[in-house]
Amino acid sequence: MPQASSISVLVVDDQLTMRALIRNALQQIGFKDIREAPDGEEALKNLLAKPANLVISDFNMPKMDGLALLRAVRSHPPIRQTAFVMLTGRADRELVQRAVQFGVNNYCVKPFTVQGLRDKIEQVFGQLT
Amino acid sequence: MDELEAIKVTFFQECEELLADLEGGLLAMQDGNDDGDTVNAVFRAVHSIKGGAGAFGLEPLVRFAHVFETLLDAVRSNEVPATPDLVVTLLRASDVLADHVSSARGLGVVDEAVSAAMAAELKACTDPNAAPAPAAVVEAPVFEAAPVAAPAEALIGADDALDDDDLGFDFQPMTITIDEQAADVAAAAGNVWTVSIRPKSDLYRKANETALLLRELARLGPIEATLDASAIPPLDMLDAEAAYATWTVRLETEEDETAIREVFEFVDGDCDLEITRGEGLTPDAALAALLAGDAPAAVEAAPAVVAEAPAPVVVVEAAPEPVAVAPVVEAAPAPVAAPIAPAAPVAASAPAAAPAAKAQQIDVPGPGQSVIRVDPERIDRLIDLVGELVINQAMLAQRVGEYGIAPSSNLAMGLDELEQLTREIQDSVMAIRAQPVKSVFQRMPRLVREVASMTGKQARLVMDGENTEVDKTVIERLSDPITHMLRNAIDHGLESPEERKAAGKNPEGVVKLAALHRSGRIVIEVSDDGKGINRERVHSIAIKKGLISPELQLTDEEIDNLIFLPGFSTADKISDVSGRGVGMDVVKRSVQALGGRISITSRPGQGSTFTLSLPLTLAVLDGMVVDVAGETLVVPLAAIVESLRPKPEEVRPLGPVGSVLAVRDSFVPLIDVGLTLGYREASPPPTEGVVLLVEGEDGSRAALVADAIHGQRQVVIKSLEQNYQQVDGVAAATILGDGRVALILDVDAVISLRRREPPRPVEPTLIAAE
Repeated sequence: MPQASSISVLVVDDQLTMRALIRNALQQIGFKDIREAPDGEEALKNLLAKPANLVISDFNMPKMDGLALLRAVRSHPPIRQTAFVMLTGRADRELVQRAVQFGVNNYCVKPFTVQGLRDKIEQVFGQLT
Repeated sequence: MDELEAIKVTFFQECEELLADLEGGLLAMQDGNDDGDTVNAVFRAVHSIKGGAGAFGLEPLVRFAHVFETLLDAVRSNEVPATPDLVVTLLRASDVLADHVSSARGLGVVDEAVSAAMAAELKACTDPNAAPAPAAVVEAPVFEAAPVAAPAEALIGADDALDDDDLGFDFQPMTITIDEQAADVAAAAGNVWTVSIRPKSDLYRKANETALLLRELARLGPIEATLDASAIPPLDMLDAEAAYATWTVRLETEEDETAIREVFEFVDGDCDLEITRGEGLTPDAALAALLAGDAPAAVEAAPAVVAEAPAPVVVVEAAPEPVAVAPVVEAAPAPVAAPIAPAAPVAASAPAAAPAAKAQQIDVPGPGQSVIRVDPERIDRLIDLVGELVINQAMLAQRVGEYGIAPSSNLAMGLDELEQLTREIQDSVMAIRAQPVKSVFQRMPRLVREVASMTGKQARLVMDGENTEVDKTVIERLSDPITHMLRNAIDHGLESPEERKAAGKNPEGVVKLAALHRSGRIVIEVSDDGKGINRERVHSIAIKKGLISPELQLTDEEIDNLIFLPGFSTADKISDVSGRGVGMDVVKRSVQALGGRISITSRPGQGSTFTLSLPLTLAVLDGMVVDVAGETLVVPLAAIVESLRPKPEEVRPLGPVGSVLAVRDSFVPLIDVGLTLGYREASPPPTEGVVLLVEGEDGSRAALVADAIHGQRQVVIKSLEQNYQQVDGVAAATILGDGRVALILDVDAVISLRRREPPRPVEPTLIAAE
């Protein structure tokens, strides 16, 4: 049972509001080490400079979208096992299927609750303490 | 909950930006730029607004955004063609969306009928076949059920019923442990760096030494340095001072790249440096190896990438060998270069990556980069304080001067330094508050659309110089005059589409809004390609209304500017748009109160141009302090071309009272400031004073006569209007070093005051008294 506080998270979303909301939710769950990136490109740079245990990423972002980020993460050995949770709209079924193909760990359909997000993360890491 | 409220504030701020992006993107589409990136950016803007609105349970906003987004999604996937008509509809929809945002923010209400009609129109565009008659819509608004709106305390939606099955396929989340991840990071030698050093000759010439650099590197962790001496030529061809050797260093350290770079801080530019994470191989070498078909060492160290794809995560049936797919398909250098140069493969393996040029344009600093949001009041306070500091410093300098302390003394030199620093602080502080005029400009396209549709004109707005920066205090005051000038340009300037066609013009008129810096001021130009000012009519109206005397001979320019007279209106019928209430005279007065000027030029049949100029800041001014008839005045430095002492032979009389000064090969009217401002009755001979050659806003020159020059000084502007009243010829006031109040001269006003003086037989009343 991993401690939420020992899991580092990178939140990737081009919207400041969303990042703030997700950060807020993660804090409520008990995460402490939370970083943010506004697009896939920044996220990848960030991860290569300092790996994270968990990436929570939006799909549609400028420069490099969530799917491209996922593929890039999976193709960089040091960070290829980073847990990747994709945020997605309900309408994006095909997108999720592609993300699954590229090895996404889990996905979370927007809109979601704090508990919903927690469940999704726990499905990857096991129950959080 | 407070935190959520704070996030909500952020959301509305972000909405402003998103709405601007939306409009900018749509306008780009209107200009024929409908590439995928633009359309996607437009989609993303609406999508993001909807997403955030959903999080805060802003239902009406979510509902409208959803309809809008659905259409944009169809446009994005080419199901609905982006015709010019559609883009116009989208622009109107963006206006309604903006209204919804304002309403959600509690700043106004949405016209429900307009919103419903717009939503219906969007739906009809999305699916033309299923389009209901728009008339029917008003009775029964076609809103889809909101895609789950939530109370603010839940995070993003409150619906727990949303589970994976919603998307309709089997998926087992893939588990992973932190330990597995950590093993990966360790295996990938996260703390091994390869540093390649290629010194240039300059490095040695500046008495630096590679050995010292290596020693410094060794402080970060154990190093293994390999010397590449292959480039060293035979002894007879060797240049003793040239650099030939290169080093490759394997460094193990906990430090990050910055720490490694710091070692090379002092040889920056004198040596080629490559720092890469992981073992061996520079990106160049890796690429070369790849091209040669070798399997380089770096790849062996990271076999996952190319070869076997050893299931990076716990494999579930649904995810067949996820990793191998990407690199193989790409066949780009990405996999090989990956462990070495993180930046390079990003672009290569990201098919959706935007073109680099575009990425630079929208270089929004992300989190972690140093962007601080500061309460503007704190900055204002800082600027006020710096203003006081400037005055204080000037007073101190003056005191020191009065005590007869030598300029070479330590004290005086220290003061000089203080002045330098004060000025730098002031510039830096002002730069904090400087903002591009974009924030004002971006509100204008909507205004133009609305005014055009209200007046039955067709108008296209072209904007230029949105990034021109100006102090925030000025920005705030730009909006009103620009709004008025634009309304005027469309309402009075542009002809109706029929008239334009008849005149052989494009039925769609062009209104141009431009901002630029000119001689220390910001200039805003609003021009139209309409019919221009009907001078005869303007002239006769002005006479009829008793604004000017019938005998007065006026130049074309002067007639054009009659429209700024109080009580002047040429509109046959008072339109809703620009004819009622506030006239151009009010605009002119408010602009003048800011130390600004406004004028209009016009060419019949071709259009008119409003020119508005304002100081870049309302806080400080570089000025020349002069004495005139015992008074101390400040002349804005920006207006001064040169100063000189006239010789008697250079002064020539002109007419009964006037005189001109010969400056090199041209003649410039001499203006005695003391006489013009009423400080004295008669002018002393100009040869006894000093002449400041000044240039007005319109380029006209004049020679201002003063008694003496005190020197150049930066002064803090204090509005005369706020503290006293407007005085012709005076722009503002300031406080001098000795605590006295001095007036700041309005050079243009002084020149035009002079023009209206004696030589003219009739007293003109171009500018109404008081």
